[in-house]
Amino acid sequence: MTAVADFLTLNGVSKIYRSGRSEVHAVESADFTIPSGQFLSILGPSGCGKSTLLSMIGGLETPTTGQIRIAGSPVTAPREDMGYVFQDATLLPWFTVLNNVLFPVRLRQGRTSAYRERARELLEMVGLWDFRDKRPDELSGGMRQRVAICRALITDPDILLMDEPFSALDAISRDEMNVALASIWDRFHKTAVFVTHSIREAVFLSDRILVMSRRPSAICHDVTVPFGRPRAAQIERDPVFVQLCSDLRDQIEEGHRA
Amino acid sequence: MGNSASITAARAGVVSPEQRAEGRRAATMAGLRKVLLPAGTAGAALLIWEVTVRVLQIPPVLLPAPSAIWAKLDQLFLPLILKHSIPTITESLIAFVISTVIGIAIAGLLSSSRLLREALYPNVVFFQLIPKIALAPLFIVWLGIGAESRLSFAVFISFFPVVIATLAGLDNVDKSLLRLCRALRASEWQVFRDVRLPFALPYIFSGMKIATTFSIIGVIVGEFITSQAGLGYLILFASAQAETELIFAAITVLCVFGLVFYGAIALAEIYLRRRFGA
Ligand SMILES: Nc1ncnc2c1ncn2[C@@H]1O[C@H](COP(=O)(O)OP(=O)(O)OP(=O)(O)O)[C@@H](O)[C@H]1O
Ligand SMILES: [Mg+2]
Repeated sequence: MTAVADFLTLNGVSKIYRSGRSEVHAVESADFTIPSGQFLSILGPSGCGKSTLLSMIGGLETPTTGQIRIAGSPVTAPREDMGYVFQDATLLPWFTVLNNVLFPVRLRQGRTSAYRERARELLEMVGLWDFRDKRPDELSGGMRQRVAICRALITDPDILLMDEPFSALDAISRDEMNVALASIWDRFHKTAVFVTHSIREAVFLSDRILVMSRRPSAICHDVTVPFGRPRAAQIERDPVFVQLCSDLRDQIEEGHRA
Repeated sequence: MGNSASITAARAGVVSPEQRAEGRRAATMAGLRKVLLPAGTAGAALLIWEVTVRVLQIPPVLLPAPSAIWAKLDQLFLPLILKHSIPTITESLIAFVISTVIGIAIAGLLSSSRLLREALYPNVVFFQLIPKIALAPLFIVWLGIGAESRLSFAVFISFFPVVIATLAGLDNVDKSLLRLCRALRASEWQVFRDVRLPFALPYIFSGMKIATTFSIIGVIVGEFITSQAGLGYLILFASAQAETELIFAAITVLCVFGLVFYGAIALAEIYLRRRFGA
């Protein structure tokens, strides 16, 4: 895939939830463009509208104003070439691990045999091939989330949307998962939008970080992460990494106060 | 990565064979207790019944002793009772199958269309409130005195619990799974097949268990009012002859059938849930 400079563009996107008389301005205004192949994180405090923004990009919610385009065409519904990873793994409890990974294929074309090899490759990559016949309730939270990532990648999507996929995990599994995702990324290299409120996670994973403020809930900073790939866990000790994290913390605080 | 996989494998827990055997033994004991305790209680109740009837010398027309009922059953099962059991059992089974299929289909329809649901569901609930047994004679007016009217009546009273239970299951589905399906562009039918239906399975079985009893009740009530055969007819006939032992013998057969029927559904549920992990 040759890089497209304006693979995903948002133009004056906002979202207002109305219920009765009250209005919630979940996203005030979002304008940005990302090239294909970029790993973008959206970082911000709880309740600032990150999930809303992501579900609009994914076509699960309609923007109140503005327009979102992916590869030139406006997003009106969930796209075929999109993978979505939710905050909780949302695996089907009645399917095995393997069948959960193959679920998108089953929906798309019924027969899954052509994708078995790919499922095997993905599950081996996250160390879960031996667990392929287990049910989700026999797995730990981190394992379930890895299965969810494999499921999002099975149809080889062009864009991967992730909404705080690791926020339910303990700190150790979270670090583990970050390393796992970074190594998946080195192999697949799609376009990704990753929502998180962990600064360290955002810096470790992304090429670029958008910081969202709570009020008005808009993008207040656009930060480029200066690390190349592949990335090892050790870069977290790099002074540049530490400095970047503390800068981002200041920017979030500033957004808080504003 | 290899590292993290082995960590999680250890976390998933490796159980030693001794621990497993120990666990199995404990489970067997708990299982035995679950069977033996109620069976023992029932046996004790029968014993008290037997003793009471003998000691107080209750006339057999009022209340025969269990031993007398058993003797009657033994004496008349082949020549009489079996012949009457067959139509009752067959019709109950047919009514049960039809109610289950219709019940699940109606629930599926109601859960798939907002309009249908808003139009029909309150009426379904209202229908639930009608004492349906009171309508049995109507079925004879409409369908005559044959098996059709008994079957329709049995289906009529036993498909409601299936509809209500299935609908509860189909509607209670985890919202996040529905969101996933939307993100994956699943069709209504695919969502039904892969998410709603498996989720509703335990609910459906609870409805089916009620339907086993209701379909037997429906057939028996039908036989009370129309039939020339069947256990309901036999009970009525025996009561006219003041043959209380025969009444109880017929009821015993009904109980055994009901128990086996319910048990078969419960086993099917265990099998399916294990198979599909629902
Ligand atoms: N369906 C909805 N209806 C009404 N209001 C909503 C809805 N979804 C979100 N909101 C509101 O929109 C705002 C932003 O919510 P959103 O879930 O996007 O935040 P978030 O940044 O993802 O938060 P978190 O980090 O806690 O997940 C919140 O004030 C929330 O109450
Ligand atoms: Mg959120």
